Amino acid sequence: MRSASLVLAAYIMCVIVAASWRMFGGVLHDAVPDLGALTAAYLGLTARRDVAPAVGASVVLGYLIDLISGAPPGLSALVLALTGLVARAVQQRIFVRGKVMTMAFSAFVALVAWVIAFVVRVLYHASRADLVLELRHAALVIVATALAGNLVWRVFRRIDAAFARTARERDAALEGLAP
Amino acid sequence: MTLRRRLLDWSLAAVLVILPALVLRASMARGTPSGLDTALLRITAPLEAGVSWVVEGIGGVWSRYVALVDVEDENRELRADNESLRKQLAVMTRRAFDISALEDLAVVKHQNPVDTVGARVIGAPLSPQLRVLRLRLDRGEGEVLPEQAVITSAGPVGRIGTVFGPYADVRLLSDPDSTIDVVLPRTGGIGKLKGLGRPDTYACWIRWLDRSATADTKVQVGDEVVTSGVHGDFPAGLLAGKISKILRDDGMFQEVEVEPTVDPSRVRAVMVLLAPRPPADPDAKVKKHSEPAFGGRPL
Repeated sequence: MRSASLVLAAYIMCVIVAASWRMFGGVLHDAVPDLGALTAAYLGLTARRDVAPAVGASVVLGYLIDLISGAPPGLSALVLALTGLVARAVQQRIFVRGKVMTMAFSAFVALVAWVIAFVVRVLYHASRADLVLELRHAALVIVATALAGNLVWRVFRRIDAAFARTARERDAALEGLAP
Repeated sequence: MTLRRRLLDWSLAAVLVILPALVLRASMARGTPSGLDTALLRITAPLEAGVSWVVEGIGGVWSRYVALVDVEDENRELRADNESLRKQLAVMTRRAFDISALEDLAVVKHQNPVDTVGARVIGAPLSPQLRVLRLRLDRGEGEVLPEQAVITSAGPVGRIGTVFGPYADVRLLSDPDSTIDVVLPRTGGIGKLKGLGRPDTYACWIRWLDRSATADTKVQVGDEVVTSGVHGDFPAGLLAGKISKILRDDGMFQEVEVEPTVDPSRVRAVMVLLAPRPPADPDAKVKKHSEPAFGGRPL
């Protein structure tokens, strides 16, 4: 239920971003925060003992994002599933807490998601732009994702807190401590 | 967490990773959305449309009523652009008008195989007593003489009054001193078109319009008045105007008011017909007696 709520919230945020971002002009137009990667990373980072639910939720969200964005179905799903696994692997080694750390981790997640997406597109012969353009776009997305990371994760923590079974779990969720 | 459960968890995770990979392969091979994709799109599209509508509404309110930072600068630029474009439009309109006037002159030249000189109007009639149009002649300095006819494609304008170098004044049809021989094609009546010299219109009148006894030859309002070509100053058949009012009808003659076809205030270019009016007969005022037919004077 928690994962489904997170996916639904992330999906609604993706729809809002998709509807609103096209109104921006200039550099902002291409600087779209990678909400899918942020969600997959959060799911991976906060996965309790089982990793499969986090990966499953990431796949579902990725599939919905594919439908919104018009990408080939499965592309974002695969990328987010792998991103979630990377975040799960990172969970054992670093402690993401505080605004600066969250921003840095969001940027890292966006970079990982872009690299995975690039590799997948190369492997599947999906459409690609000129490398310079791809790098410029990736840089903009990474910056935008880093800036949006704190806000998005705050929403996710609120949802996590709503599903907490004890007051301690609730405080921990709001603090951003991994369960 | 037991090893079995961990294996199951990771196996499930692996399946969940492989599944989108397979879906992606299938969708890349197929190229079109599957039935599931289409069904999900149908379900999610209204939500996207609703969110888009709300966001666009908020964005519209923001950009129209709140974010007006650059509007003043933009307004200034647009005002400058507008002014510049208006000037260009005025120049182009004037040029088009000139071209139209020249085309009219070409038509007149084609219709009148006499020697002509084109002229541009440089001064409009200002005085109600002297209905004069000032011209600048394109050529023919010295050839343009007083009393020569001035016409446009719409009809006669008047006669040359005074000539000074490359300039000339035209005495308009509406000048009280102006006289043109005219005929009414419908009735066949003839007369002399004279200016009324009114301050508010360019109206003319025909005082002694010949009329026949039958009712159908009586002139009516709206009848056309054309030049008769008598005296050879104006070519025959030029539409001079239309009867606008019947002033008097004494049974033998009619007195009518004529609205000229040419509005002198709108004329930009004219054609001067270089065929001068025939000189006046020097013996016109001398009484002539017919010679006897057979040597003796008639009784």
